[in-house]
Amino acid sequence: MPETNATADAISDEALARRIADGPAGSTDAEEAELYRRFAPRVRLYGRRHLRDGAAADDLAQDVLLRTIERLRAGEVRRPEEIGSFILGTSRMTAHGERRITRRREALAARFVEMPGNTSPASTATLDTPRVASCLRALTERDRLVVLLTYYAEREAPRIAEDLGISPGAVRAIRHRAMARLRECVLRGHQP
Amino acid sequence: MTTPGCGQISFAALTDYPVGELPGTDATAIEDHLFSCAECGTRAAELDQLVRAIGPAVRSAEVGGFVTDAVLNRLAREGVRTRTFALSPGAVVPCAVWEDDEVMALRLRAEFGVASEITMSQRVAGNEVLRATGHIASSSPGELVYALPAAWVRQLPAVEIEVLLTAHGGDDERPLARYTLVHEGSLRR
Repeated sequence: MPETNATADAISDEALARRIADGPAGSTDAEEAELYRRFAPRVRLYGRRHLRDGAAADDLAQDVLLRTIERLRAGEVRRPEEIGSFILGTSRMTAHGERRITRRREALAARFVEMPGNTSPASTATLDTPRVASCLRALTERDRLVVLLTYYAEREAPRIAEDLGISPGAVRAIRHRAMARLRECVLRGHQP
Repeated sequence: MTTPGCGQISFAALTDYPVGELPGTDATAIEDHLFSCAECGTRAAELDQLVRAIGPAVRSAEVGGFVTDAVLNRLAREGVRTRTFALSPGAVVPCAVWEDDEVMALRLRAEFGVASEITMSQRVAGNEVLRATGHIASSSPGELVYALPAAWVRQLPAVEIEVLLTAHGGDDERPLARYTLVHEGSLRR
């Protein structure tokens, strides 16, 4: 299907960026939501690494995608074929100025109240909580505890290793195994 | 660069990335690739979905299991109502679970010695309803902390809940401690 007629979810990142850049204001909601769906998870992971805080990572993703769409609309993204690099660069710059995020987000949200970041695109909706809880219960005690300490208590690996009396390498191996099992259970329906 | 079937970033490497366990150069390489590869972006979206789902699942109080103070502190910061029982070996205590409690935390104290693994068994009216094997956290020597949904306790009739700990170390297995919670139904304020 030629990209000119294809729906937003079936076109390349570059075509998506060009549609947002070229479309009249208000006519590219589907493309903006798709751009958010594709890149917000990557920006959130970037934020988790560099800001070490889940809530700050959520804020970063929303802020970066809002900025990106704003720049596309303004015709300020010179190379739409490298939209991924543009988003990464924006993530780096924004994370660097983290303290400005809250003020900036509030200002942008006020301007673009209908932005996809405020409408929870389907792909970023949370997974079924009872199912995730059930899959967490199905992990071994040690696997579950490492997952909880890492992603819920946001404890860094050396501290987890110290708390549990095991090596950092063992924490890492447990986390790899546990997250793979959790993914299989939650997303594929396979019990650990 | 969008590579169908791309395996440049494994799911395991992705789990290392957000928790800061990759050297800076590896992390930068992952970032550069991740933002230009749709295949790896999809894998990142799966990890992101999972990570974001863990908090709500834990807050729902339906997960339970052996925990440490780091997890209990986070639950407290998030306003999850936790009823804590600190129990010494042989303790017989009233199990006062209120209607708005969400998590019940048992601090099971004992002389663990050199045991590497501990099995906890819960019996209700003589029937084993739960068995779990965990390890002593060096952050809290002398106690094992187990969390369970308060709703599960609330739905029990007036009954005694026996909690037994058994230590394992090498070929050795020995009973460690017994605790009794006397449950008389849910309490209302």
